[in-house]
Amino acid sequence: MSRPELTGHASSFYNEKEARKYDSSSRMIGVQREITERAIELLRIPEGKPGFILDVGCGSGLSGKVLEEQGHIWVGCDVSRDMLDVANERIERKREGVINAARKKQNDDLDEEKMQDDDSDDDEDEEPCASTGDLLHHDMGSGLPFRPATFDGCISISALQWLCYSNAKGQIPKKRLTRFFSSLYQVLRRGARAVLQFYPETAEQAILISECAAKVGFAGGVVVDYPNSTKAKKHYLVLTFERAFKAPEGLSEGSLFGSGKRESVRVDRKANNKKGKVHKKKWGKTKDWIVNKKDVQRKKGKDVRPDSKYTGRKRGDRF
Amino acid sequence: MRLLTHNYLQSTVKGTEKGYPLKIEATTIEYEESPFDAEFVRSLIPKIDYSTVLIGIQQISDKLEESNNIQGITIPDLPESIENEDLQEDLLKKLHTVLFDIHVVEGDLVCPDTGRRFNIKKGIPNMILHADEI
Repeated sequence: MSRPELTGHASSFYNEKEARKYDSSSRMIGVQREITERAIELLRIPEGKPGFILDVGCGSGLSGKVLEEQGHIWVGCDVSRDMLDVANERIERKREGVINAARKKQNDDLDEEKMQDDDSDDDEDEEPCASTGDLLHHDMGSGLPFRPATFDGCISISALQWLCYSNAKGQIPKKRLTRFFSSLYQVLRRGARAVLQFYPETAEQAILISECAAKVGFAGGVVVDYPNSTKAKKHYLVLTFERAFKAPEGLSEGSLFGSGKRESVRVDRKANNKKGKVHKKKWGKTKDWIVNKKDVQRKKGKDVRPDSKYTGRKRGDRF
Repeated sequence: MRLLTHNYLQSTVKGTEKGYPLKIEATTIEYEESPFDAEFVRSLIPKIDYSTVLIGIQQISDKLEESNNIQGITIPDLPESIENEDLQEDLLKKLHTVLFDIHVVEGDLVCPDTGRRFNIKKGIPNMILHADEI
């Protein structure tokens, strides 16, 4: 599956049709919900204390919905107008849900009939409540249009990587990233955190992002959940103002609290096998296994090809 | 766009001196009641710029009366300053109504320094900057 970031500007990829498809895909809703819950967990906001949260790249409001359920007030910004329109519709449906529920409640009190749930949002409680979110049409690469020390926290779900691609003349990813992070630094209250989940295409991208964040004064690190699974692997850039920040452990399969392998800022597969022993992938041999095997052969004195970028590279299907 | 959000919005156009507070020129306003949390409003008070809230209310007051969605909701009277005010529940409730329940649906936000206009459509302000404004 090719990356959407390679097809062009975020607002042209997330056009009206794509926005609707995105918002109605139950898989997407499920995945985004999980990621958002994890991001809010990493935010470490005291339990039961509602906060004013910024949602960068809020899209169609899937993450905003989770923020609302946890009692927070949020402001979302996104560069795609079509996604924001879908988010607006969601808020509108909620609004109607509130009004209808209030009406029904009135009728129920009179008729004593059983109350029917509203059709729209699937996983809503009996009592729908109004949305606590506000939306902004804005490009995060140009900074954040807020007063200093506005937010108690910031989350971003699957949006940050868009800054790494230049889509217009004069757009330099490093400049946009730095601009974004420096304005994020200003609009966050001291003691607040930012948790930004993103999909890095390469390790270099993850490093670039982390470096830009560190340069503006943030402390923090990248938490990687499920590092051994290509599908479930998620990167969370956790940014704080505390210099003595210690990155929490990422989640991994088979254990709720992490297996003790702490992923550092550098996103690198080789960090896993310092002793040269490698977990075999289910469907074949990994590059590290091959490199290791070649080393062993060399030590035996056999004639082995030098290692290059082609070593262990996936070949096309042979007929 | 709520008045709470407006309280924090600032123009970050290059060369702007301050860019705050943005002047609201509303054409359509809506009212939507939302659940009231006294403690949350109380915790918000030190964080908002109260004078901006008053200015914001004043700027939309004429449109507020015109809006047919309001059904007789009047703008609550707010005191000039809340610093020494005793934060009673009914004052908090008024603040809640003003900050959360009034939505500017259509209109413009105007930068006080440069006059740059940010359009609000369907309740969403367009803060996208042109290439030369970044």
